[in-house]
Formats: sequence, structure tokens, C-alpha cells
Amino acid sequence: MTAIPHYELIELLEKRIELHLQQTIYSLQNLPESVLLQPAADGGWSIAQCLEHLNTYGDYYLPQIKIALSKASHSSPSRLFQSSWLGEYFIKMMEPETGKKKYKAFKGHIPAARLDAYATIAKFIQQQEELLSYVKQAKAVNLNEVRIPISITRLIRLKLGDVFQFIVAHDERHLQQAFRHLSTNG
Amino acid sequence: MPQLSVGLETLHTLINSIHPLSEESWHEFQGIWRPFSAKRKELLTVAGERERYLYVVLEGVQRIYYFDDQLREATLVFTYAPSFGGVIDALMLQHPSRYFYETLTPSLFLRASIHDLQPLTEKHADISFLIRQGATLALSGVLERLVELQSYSAEERFKQLLRRSPHILQLVPHKYLANYLGMDATNFSKFINRMRM
Repeated sequence: MTAIPHYELIELLEKRIELHLQQTIYSLQNLPESVLLQPAADGGWSIAQCLEHLNTYGDYYLPQIKIALSKASHSSPSRLFQSSWLGEYFIKMMEPETGKKKYKAFKGHIPAARLDAYATIAKFIQQQEELLSYVKQAKAVNLNEVRIPISITRLIRLKLGDVFQFIVAHDERHLQQAFRHLSTNG
Repeated sequence: MPQLSVGLETLHTLINSIHPLSEESWHEFQGIWRPFSAKRKELLTVAGERERYLYVVLEGVQRIYYFDDQLREATLVFTYAPSFGGVIDALMLQHPSRYFYETLTPSLFLRASIHDLQPLTEKHADISFLIRQGATLALSGVLERLVELQSYSAEERFKQLLRRSPHILQLVPHKYLANYLGMDATNFSKFINRMRM
């Protein structure tokens, strides 16, 4: 398992979340509703559905992270962050670069067909801002020690550093899907 | 530092558009500014605390907003380059700020401490005039906006925002723009959907 300096990981996460916010604000939030709700050419999710899928993860993880951070005020950052075996496995599965396979969405994370497109995008932006604030707070905690139960089974608890990386990789995956869709439909 | 010299050029152009300074005044005035940067969503001024700096915005968008214990929120002013920033009334009156000042995008500034600025305004009449003129122009902007908020329709307010700051839709999340215009997010979305970019 590769280790990464604590501050480098924080910086990397901040940069990627910043980019996701910029892409969404610059482009997606200003699109007509018809484009946002148009199913993909291959019958796949619309742009709004891609983001709603991400929102369901935010709905689960953001409150969990908030609680974990509030309890972790006594912990202090270690110099290096080291992914667990399982954490690294999930992250690689979600990173668009390393996880080329398609997966079916889990129950509870399947987006509805009828969505309020603008409300969905506004919620995604709100969640990204919240995620960014938690990454900032996490500068001062131990990313190896703080653990979060994962959404598909509460029995598995991943390190906070892995959870952040998983969320960001997963966001990137479906933002890329949304933008692919935009370039063919938009 | 290259950023400082570029920033000082922006500052020079900005003050020339308000009230040009004598060479001697400019020489002293430029000496009090320091580069400053902040990432997205960082609080530069917190309500209840003093405003210690006058800012010159070089990059990014920021907002001054009101927020209270009943969760009432009012976005009062956006600042972006090239303009002055900070909670000006708290700065000049040196009383605790009633408002927050935060970055909405990654931002670059020059900023000067009030402790460095104050003596210069006492020493140089043209600097004092510049500051008064700048503050009065800011007041004009606020009064103009009050007219719009009180007498324009929601659609007129939306169009006015696009005329004044067309780039802002691509830089700032809609929720802040809707709040600034005094309308709910649903109403704001309707105007976006009707607009063709």
C-alpha cells in the first residue's frame, strides 16, 4: 500500500474538489432543463441523474464525516497517510483511470427518472462545498485513525483518508459520464 | 514578488479612475500593500470582529453577506477584479463588522492594514479625498441596488445582473446570485432555463 504525506493528500483532494466545482458552476448549472434531463444516447442516465446518483452518496457520507470530525478533535495528523487494502481496492475501482469496468448502482443510490434538474445541480454544488469544508477541517485530524462505515454495508469501516479519496474518485467518474453525455447530446 | 508589481499596476489604474494621486502620495500609498491569497469559501472577515484590511481584488469573486441566528441570509455585495473589497463601513468606522466577507472562488488580492492606511489619509489630502470618493462611489452602488430591489420585477433584476456582470453566472453558484437578487432558487432557475447562451 502506497503512503502519501498527509498535507499532500489534503492538497490533492482540495484541488480535485475545486475542479469539480468549477466544471459544474461554469457549465452544468447554466444548461437548459431539456439538456439536463435528456437520457444518454445509449439509454443511460441523464446529466441530472448522474449528479443525483452522486447526491445520494453525499446524503449518506457527509453527515457521517461531520460526526466523525466532531469526535476526532483530539486526534492529531500523522505525517503519512496509508490506504488500507480494502480502501485502495474501492478507490481503484472508482477512479476513471484505473476502473474501466461498468458497475450497477446499489440500491438506495439509483436516481429517480423524474428530477428537478436545477435543484439537483444546486444540491450537488452545496454538497461539494460541504465536502471541501470537511477536507479543510481534516487538515488537523488523523486520517488513518478516523473511520467511517461505508454506505453499502455498515459493517465495513474505512479510514477517513480513503473515504475522501473514494468520494472524489466516484464524483469524477460520474462527472466525466455527464460531460461525455453533454458532448454527444448538448 | 511579481504578483505585487502586477497588483500595484491594477491598483494604480483603479485609483486613476477614481482620483489620481500626486507622485509623492502614490509613492507612499503603494508601500502599504501586501499580496494575499485565499482558496474557495474562506472567511476573510467574520461578523462581530473588526475589519482590519482594505482589499484590492486581483482575481476571483467574493461576497459580503449578512447571516444571523435565525438563519436569515442576505448577500449584499459581490466584489471582483478590479475593485476594492472588504467590509468598508466597519473598516472606516472601526467598529465590529455586522457582515461576513468570504471568497466564492479562489482569489488573489492586495491588502493594506487600516493602521498603515489611516496615517496616510491624515498626511496627504489627495489620499484622504481618494478614500472618501471611493466610499461615496460604493454608497452610490448600494443606493442604486436598493432602487432595483424595491421597484424592479424579478426578471428585470435578473437581466440587470447579466448586463452588469455577465461572467458571474459561470463563476458563482446560482444560490448566491438568487440570494443577492432577493428571489428563491426556483424562480432563478426559470430565468436560466429561458436564457439561451
